[in-house]
Amino acid sequence: MTAPENRVIPASNFTRFLEAIMAEQPVIGPRERPDQPGFYRFGRLARAEDFAPDYGTTTVPPKKTFAALREKLFSFTLDSPPELDLHFDSSPFVLLGIHPCDLSGIDALDHAYSQPPAEVRWTANRRRASLIGLDCRPDSYCFCTQVGTESNRNPCDLFLTPMEDGYLVEVHSDAGAALLEKADTRKAGEEDEAAAEQWRREKAAGIVPEFDAPVEKIADILEVGGLTPVWKETADRCYSCGSCNTTCPTCFCFDMVDDIEPDLSGGARYRTWDSCQLLDFALVASGHNFRGERWQRVRHRWQRKFLYLYRQFDRPYCTGCGRCSRACTADINLVDVANRLIAAAQKEA
Amino acid sequence: MAEPAKNQAVDRTRIFYVPERARVMTTRQEPSATFVELGFEDGRPLNHHPGQFVQVSVFGYGEAPISVCSSPTRPESFALCVQSMGNVSRAIADLTPGDWVGIRGPYGRGCFPIDRMKNKDVLLIAGGIGMAPLRGLIQFICDNRDDYGRFMVVYGAKTPSDILFREETEQWTENPDLDFYRTVDEPDDEWEGRTGVVTEPLKEIDIDPENTIAAACGPPVMFRFIAMDLLKKKLPEERIYFSLERRFKCGIGKCGHCQLNDLYVCQDGPVFRYADLLKRTEAGEVWAPEKDQDTA
Amino acid sequence: MIHFKKKPRVAFFDFACCEGCQLSVLEMEEKLLDLLSHVEVVEWREVMSEKSDEYDIAFCEGSITRKRDVERIQSIRERAETLVSLGACASISCHNALKNRWPMKEVVEMVYGDSGGHIDTIPARPVSDVVPVDYQIRGCPVSLPEFETVFKHILTGQSYDPPNQPVCVECKLNDTLCVYEKGMVCLGPVTRCGCNAVCTAYGDACQGCRGLIDEANTEAPARVLFREDLHPIMAEVARKNPLTRKEILAKFTVYNDTSEPDEEEESSDDNA
Repeated sequence: MTAPENRVIPASNFTRFLEAIMAEQPVIGPRERPDQPGFYRFGRLARAEDFAPDYGTTTVPPKKTFAALREKLFSFTLDSPPELDLHFDSSPFVLLGIHPCDLSGIDALDHAYSQPPAEVRWTANRRRASLIGLDCRPDSYCFCTQVGTESNRNPCDLFLTPMEDGYLVEVHSDAGAALLEKADTRKAGEEDEAAAEQWRREKAAGIVPEFDAPVEKIADILEVGGLTPVWKETADRCYSCGSCNTTCPTCFCFDMVDDIEPDLSGGARYRTWDSCQLLDFALVASGHNFRGERWQRVRHRWQRKFLYLYRQFDRPYCTGCGRCSRACTADINLVDVANRLIAAAQKEA
Repeated sequence: MAEPAKNQAVDRTRIFYVPERARVMTTRQEPSATFVELGFEDGRPLNHHPGQFVQVSVFGYGEAPISVCSSPTRPESFALCVQSMGNVSRAIADLTPGDWVGIRGPYGRGCFPIDRMKNKDVLLIAGGIGMAPLRGLIQFICDNRDDYGRFMVVYGAKTPSDILFREETEQWTENPDLDFYRTVDEPDDEWEGRTGVVTEPLKEIDIDPENTIAAACGPPVMFRFIAMDLLKKKLPEERIYFSLERRFKCGIGKCGHCQLNDLYVCQDGPVFRYADLLKRTEAGEVWAPEKDQDTA
Repeated sequence: MIHFKKKPRVAFFDFACCEGCQLSVLEMEEKLLDLLSHVEVVEWREVMSEKSDEYDIAFCEGSITRKRDVERIQSIRERAETLVSLGACASISCHNALKNRWPMKEVVEMVYGDSGGHIDTIPARPVSDVVPVDYQIRGCPVSLPEFETVFKHILTGQSYDPPNQPVCVECKLNDTLCVYEKGMVCLGPVTRCGCNAVCTAYGDACQGCRGLIDEANTEAPARVLFREDLHPIMAEVARKNPLTRKEILAKFTVYNDTSEPDEEEESSDDNA
């Protein structure tokens, strides 16, 4: 499609726009947690007012809408022969309020899961959703500018930049254009574009943490190696709790388990997110653990995000969202570790 | 990486991780393992490549990756040889004819290099349960005997009563198609065959290092010693193949459990060239002579 | 294929505990009836007056804290094909083990003064320290979904290892707000899950009732909380929780006391 012009939707019209969408399909977006003011999670909006556009971050990224934290894959009976029944909901929905970093996380998983042989469960779930992005204000953990995701729009259908009254709306797909037909908008003028540009400038200026070298250098540093002291020093504090993985928008490892009904008539197979930082993740039946040492697991996470997947898909598997640093109860900060790796490599050289 | 499977079946089910039903045709107790012969409902062949594995579901117990131990040249059924290690493998061991299981696969693009082996001498080394995946390859080569040069198989078991496929391996001893060396670590009073670990007979075998391809399967601790012996025979690292065991969950390179540095064992393997393994620290830490453990 | 066992006979027993785990199991209500339809309950003091010396599966709640407990659990072990330790007291000794820090004589004196001479007490031990245990259900009290899972594993002849992942995993899978964000200190990162992170789901910190995960990094809290360059969230945690190293250790040992139980009272006296 040809690049369509940007539109502006005033705040009052936006509420009506949301209501019009919600009349047709569920809308999932950031909501304030009940009884926990100032903290947010992605969930189905019951009313347009539930949408919390100025949310900072969420514990778990919106990838959970495409591959649930725990999801039923199929059910089975314990008859002979067993009856198998695929569990999959194909109804459409709108995912609203995704920050550029989290859009980048969805993009990362689109790449990883569509690598042949593709995981069609993810792609089929992705086809269900229209994505509406939303620009943000950084907090002290954010470092999107360091991995180049601060202005990412891929793979959204519409993108909103907050303005004094309403939003500047970028249209990024035909599906987005069709969705926007439900809204009462006006053409964006020079002033509107300037306001949005100002928002982006202020956002970039608000990013505090900085890598001491460009992100592509980190891949080279990891490839050369000789970083064991940094891994071990990090592992000294690490709990191996896996929260850096379970909150990461680009992590996609999982486990599968069966559960049976209490009446033992049948059951289901479930998938849950898993973490390479957990002690038993790379344990094999014969008892050997390929990453039995904590520092080996710490190293693996870095190699995966900034080396292997970086090389395979030509992008870091990190969106700069800062969730891993925020979730770390050992206060291990990704940017801090990156800079220690960079320093260690410079010392070697 | 080993050669990709040529006739990889179109997997109709893996996209959503729903397995296909298969029926247990026969079962047989092997020493410390169970042999299970399976067939799909519609009688279609598995269409696997020697070295590939399937994800086997026993519903209510879960799913486990198991190597196929039969040859695609005998397509009327496919067979598994399973050691009871966890809940799923125990449930597989408890199967009886007529029972149903779920099958996903076959999986693995890195298989035994049956094309590259053509017109070459082939040396196979099996330790313990590692005989299971190699059995399919042995059958395959025997069924296409004219395509291959000298064919040598070394098999080491712990004790005489641990020898898998007893009758069949006895036939191999008589079979002029292959030179079969069978050894046990701990002989009993009745044992008249060779004794010693699997590398003992290996030392005696003269190979033409220019024209031989070797493949081994067994416990990971065995690999380093086999590799050292083969390298001593001047066999290059890139003509030595190892079949690795990992805890595959998905089988399609997504779940991350089998990742070995940048490789997914389920997708890129499970059979790897030793030369490729040596480049990976997480394999090198286990199987290579000591070196800096931190270069990627 | 599930090959069903014959309808097994089930008995519940208790040792030093509050019997709260059994009470929790009763709270399963209809689901419990579904599960129990596959078995025959022959003894369960909390719900019935019948008793039996013949049973296949024994659920044992509580720690072993008396000499006669040892004999009793041994005789239960002899009769039962399957023995399950039910709850934290039976599986990891729970608070009962706190007394193991002192000689038993002192413990008796602390509680009963001069009149405790007849008290039969030995250092508290989990059931598995005395007899082999087939299944462990941890937690104070046990989590009902896990009880159900273990029950189904027993019925279908499957082994069950208590999860070796920290509570953080389940907490995140529930998309619960980390209590550190509210300035609380939580034992989730080192504590075995299986509870579905129920405490954090209700806004409380994990107290560690299911015991430590394997290779738990118990050195980390001190290494973290006393750092000077803490990030805002952690700095707030440290400010609101001005713990000494000793207090941090105390938090770890409420459910996880690793003091060596002294077998003989005489030797405890020597150590005192």
